[in-house]
Amino acid sequence: MHAVVKASLEEYLSGTLEPAGKRGIEAHLSTCEGCREELAGMQDLSQLFGSLLSEEAMEPPPGFCARVLQEVGGRQPVPSFAGLFSLDLALARRLVFACLLTLAVLGSYLVVREGEYPGSLSPEAVMAQQNYPAFDSEHGQDNMLVTLAAYDEP
Amino acid sequence: MGTLTGVLPLPRFGSKVAAKSRVDYQNTPEGALVSRAQAGDEAAFREIVERYQSKVFSIIHGIVRQRNDVEDIAQQVFVKVYVSLRNFDFRSSLITWIYKITVNECFDFLRKRKVRKLVYESDLSEDEVRRVDNSEPAVDRQVPMDATLARRDYVVKLLTRVSDEERMLLMLKEVEGFSVEELAEKTGLNENTIKVKLFRARQKLVKAAQRLDRAPGLVTG
Repeated sequence: MHAVVKASLEEYLSGTLEPAGKRGIEAHLSTCEGCREELAGMQDLSQLFGSLLSEEAMEPPPGFCARVLQEVGGRQPVPSFAGLFSLDLALARRLVFACLLTLAVLGSYLVVREGEYPGSLSPEAVMAQQNYPAFDSEHGQDNMLVTLAAYDEP
Repeated sequence: MGTLTGVLPLPRFGSKVAAKSRVDYQNTPEGALVSRAQAGDEAAFREIVERYQSKVFSIIHGIVRQRNDVEDIAQQVFVKVYVSLRNFDFRSSLITWIYKITVNECFDFLRKRKVRKLVYESDLSEDEVRRVDNSEPAVDRQVPMDATLARRDYVVKLLTRVSDEERMLLMLKEVEGFSVEELAEKTGLNENTIKVKLFRARQKLVKAAQRLDRAPGLVTG
């Protein structure tokens, strides 16, 4: 079925489609046999549903409610797994916001702390370190070069 | 931090949520009634039964028709409501949820009745089957007395070919007469989703009807 019919199918079947929309669909149907047949099938079936309406009101007999309560009296409701962890939605939203706020504050603090301490030593301190045995190794010398290259004057 | 609060929308503490939502329904008087019943309040459950028993009886009578069976099925419906109520998630309205249970129970009843009859008959000899057929009221095989019953039997047979959800949507739309907007409100589904589901359900019904018209024995309920 083409989109022009499908988009307003329910309104067309129930007869509540506005005249302009109805004209658009009928204009398409006049040229499209496939849509015409499919729609006709759906219209025929739609009219059958009226047979499922109860013509006469059938009221529950006296005592029906009491019999239901008697029947369920011995039964246990099925516990809901999700219910074990359920939170009121509004409370859940507030908790999520509080967590995000805490993370943001912590993150800001860590960034600020990072800035207070220089990440590298002064060149004089680096040169002094070369007297240590650990800096005799190639690795230690490479580290010293990297440290000196990355040093920024405060 | 000022930048962050500008990006993140602050929850409005103490203010009402304007959009139609699960929380809104839960805060209605009916939602409060359901919450009390979920917590085990027997008076609340009794109120639910009294509120919806007439509607349930009407729905069942429309589908099943035999008055003797309507009360039995209605009782099963409310037992199922009681047992499953804690799983009700307020996504749809209570009556929509009960409607779905009711329709499903009706179709389960019709299916089991047909299977029971077939199994019973298959255990008997040919002569015995003929004797049984002549003596007991052959409810399923009897030619419907009027056109309405014939149409009912036909559409019930077709409705066994769609899913539970599709069946519920079709009946709410066609039998109860709700619009797509009303269905969206009642079921918690998006309007476009409802349109798609209804369209697919109607296509299945049309195909089932074509098969049934070609070979009546092929579509079994």
